[in-house]
Amino acid sequence: MTLLAVENLTVALPQGADREYAVEDVSFALDAGEILCIVGESGSGKSVSANAIMGLLPRALPVRRGSIGFDGAELTRLPPEAMRRLRGARIGMIFQEPMTALNPLMRVGDQISEVLRVHDAPGGQPRVLELLAAVNLPDPPSLAGAYPFRLSGGQRQRVMIAMALALEPRLLIADEPTTALDVTTQMQILRLIKEIQRRRGTGVLFITHDFGVVAEIADRVAVMQHGRIVEQGPAARVLDAPNHPYTQALIAAVPHGAGAARPLPDGPPVLTATGVRKTYMRGGGLFARGKPLRAVQDADFSIRKGETLGLVGESGSGKSTLARCIVRLVQPEAGEIAFGHVNLRTLSRTAWKPFRRKIQMVFQDPFASLNPRRRVADIIADGPVTHGTPRAEARARTTELLRLVQLDPSAAERFPHEFSGGQRQRIGIARALAMQPELLIADEPVSALDVSVQAQVLKLLAELRDRLGLTMMFITHDLRVAAQVCDRVAVMQNGAIVEQGVTGAVFASPRHTYTRTLLESIPGRGWVPAGQSGHKA
Amino acid sequence: MNFSRAFARNRGAVVGVLLLLLVLATGLSAPFLFPFSPWDMRGVPFMPPGEMGFLLGSDSLGRDVAAGIAHGATVSLMVGAVSTVAALAIGVSLGAVAGYFGGRIDDLVMRSTEFFQTIPSFVFAVVLVAIFTPSLASIVVAIAVVSWPPVTRVVRAEFLSLRTREFVQAAEVLGHSRTAIVFREILPNALSPIIVLASLMVATAILLESSLSFLGLGDPNMMSWGFLIGSGRSVIRLAWWMSVFPGIAIFLTVLALNLVGEGLNDALNPRLARRR
Repeated sequence: MTLLAVENLTVALPQGADREYAVEDVSFALDAGEILCIVGESGSGKSVSANAIMGLLPRALPVRRGSIGFDGAELTRLPPEAMRRLRGARIGMIFQEPMTALNPLMRVGDQISEVLRVHDAPGGQPRVLELLAAVNLPDPPSLAGAYPFRLSGGQRQRVMIAMALALEPRLLIADEPTTALDVTTQMQILRLIKEIQRRRGTGVLFITHDFGVVAEIADRVAVMQHGRIVEQGPAARVLDAPNHPYTQALIAAVPHGAGAARPLPDGPPVLTATGVRKTYMRGGGLFARGKPLRAVQDADFSIRKGETLGLVGESGSGKSTLARCIVRLVQPEAGEIAFGHVNLRTLSRTAWKPFRRKIQMVFQDPFASLNPRRRVADIIADGPVTHGTPRAEARARTTELLRLVQLDPSAAERFPHEFSGGQRQRIGIARALAMQPELLIADEPVSALDVSVQAQVLKLLAELRDRLGLTMMFITHDLRVAAQVCDRVAVMQNGAIVEQGVTGAVFASPRHTYTRTLLESIPGRGWVPAGQSGHKA
Repeated sequence: MNFSRAFARNRGAVVGVLLLLLVLATGLSAPFLFPFSPWDMRGVPFMPPGEMGFLLGSDSLGRDVAAGIAHGATVSLMVGAVSTVAALAIGVSLGAVAGYFGGRIDDLVMRSTEFFQTIPSFVFAVVLVAIFTPSLASIVVAIAVVSWPPVTRVVRAEFLSLRTREFVQAAEVLGHSRTAIVFREILPNALSPIIVLASLMVATAILLESSLSFLGLGDPNMMSWGFLIGSGRSVIRLAWWMSVFPGIAIFLTVLALNLVGEGLNDALNPRLARRR
């Protein structure tokens, strides 16, 4: 039975936008008890479609054409008051960011019972506890009395789901509900949504950019590009035999976890870290001592010349802190970081300067890592100039570097805001390469990018590594990316390296339980994209 | 986004700029419009506006009020501008040091800033001017000394947040010197709030200067708006024009500066402005 039928939905964009319609002639249908995934990259119009169904479009985005039929009612023509009664009661929604979707000043239980009260639904406290239990939250009575800040991201997302389910809606819209979560938590939430859909026969409209997630939970898939649905069909068919070139390109761009089959470099170690430790003091002040937080504890690893070492782990595992310890953005309190024969940890700021040439870093957020007030040419040339390269020579190299990272040399005279995320990341890479470093540290260089752009940047990094013989330390939370890029991986949990070894071996036979959990949490791990082989795990 | 177009979208800001230009033009053309000292006696005392060639009336000594306002405009604007520049110099450098280095240095700078903030600023200015004998220089110094703490706080806050941004970390990794990082990477990105604050500080400085000369602590050789109001205070029922016109001049100038500040704020923080 068709629960939701969207036909020829067209939503206009404000004038001056890069295209006329946010979504154009979008049609899809959703049956009760079915999970439809809408996949697309950022700006493809998937969230606009979901918000149109909920009647949550901002005024600047009016619905121009089309109909949204839900359970016999036409939503586009519904007055706001009727729509309000429908929202929450018959259509539930889960948002992307669990950290901001809950009212920080209200107890969790009160927020859920508010949903019941607003819609005059019976139940009260027992029903709240029942809901919290239904989303597999531990100890519902004490949790209902807690404020949101006490809850982890995954727990908050469960509370959001409990709220969305409070009135047993027929339709659940989930807008990237797991994007902000760690992989292990993501897996739990995906299982929960699947379980609820199966148990209650709820129709789920699931919006995501991740084909792994699609493979994990979708019954049917609709792929969006530039506001249009380019392909839709049963999940198995779309994933394994995509028709549309865009879908094919997207699926080909999914990091496939197949390691680059190259011989393990066995040169001398470039960097050896032993017993690196960094503790932060949380809270405290003039009169009270803070609580110590072990960000990195006793990290031992070494990177050989020409090798790529992956540092993987979930957020808060200390992988970024460890990288920052190496380049002295953070001062570790113990241990040895030996670069060649020099212990970098004990050097002064001045003594460190010559090593800045040799160790460079690529940052995570392409929108924050370039100074918005400086031209690209200055951004790239500044580093070498500081280290004594004549300005003219550095400028000449800039052109060469831009070509190396596949940007047009005319980019040099422009400002960072004129570029897309992927292009900015290339500029960041060019900036690091301008120093001709011996060791390149890449801190989540692709996690802020869309899959297709991500694939391009990864390919570029791999090419550069082979061409320039770079030694790399690659930090990522995405195991599929790590498997594709790294020769060896080190898995971090709670500030400690729990396992390290050759990528293939670690992924094929993980020794530590945490590594095993991580590997099992890769969404869609059973799915091997068509035309790709060597997929492990 | 074009800055001037963003600025012009705020009508009030454009009005503010025009008013400010008018005041500036008046001040600059004073020596030509009124080619005599504003302290000279030009006719019968207490002449209402429009009589005996007095555009805005004459005061208790037969001096031309219009000439006083025109000549006073230069003094007010100059005191406002110079003391703001001085306050910015102190505030920006201290704030930058505190925000960039953090820790002990930050504590030291901020505690001394708070020390200055606990003293009521006007009383402090009065004391300073009284000690150093009233002159243009001592007034400028006094205003600068009492108005730098807010600048320090704003700059420190900006630096604290910008310091953790990735492009600053990148500069650190590239091995730039601290001076280069502060002046080339952080400061240009912290300029918008400083510019907005500065425009409002000029307005406050003009008010402070007027208040000081109202109390008789102005430079005795310089005609100023505050002095005009102060001298008209005792005879306000007899000759209202002596206080009202300089008052209007102060009001319009300060209003203009506030409008400009608002406009700058909207133009430099476009995301905030568009939300309204």
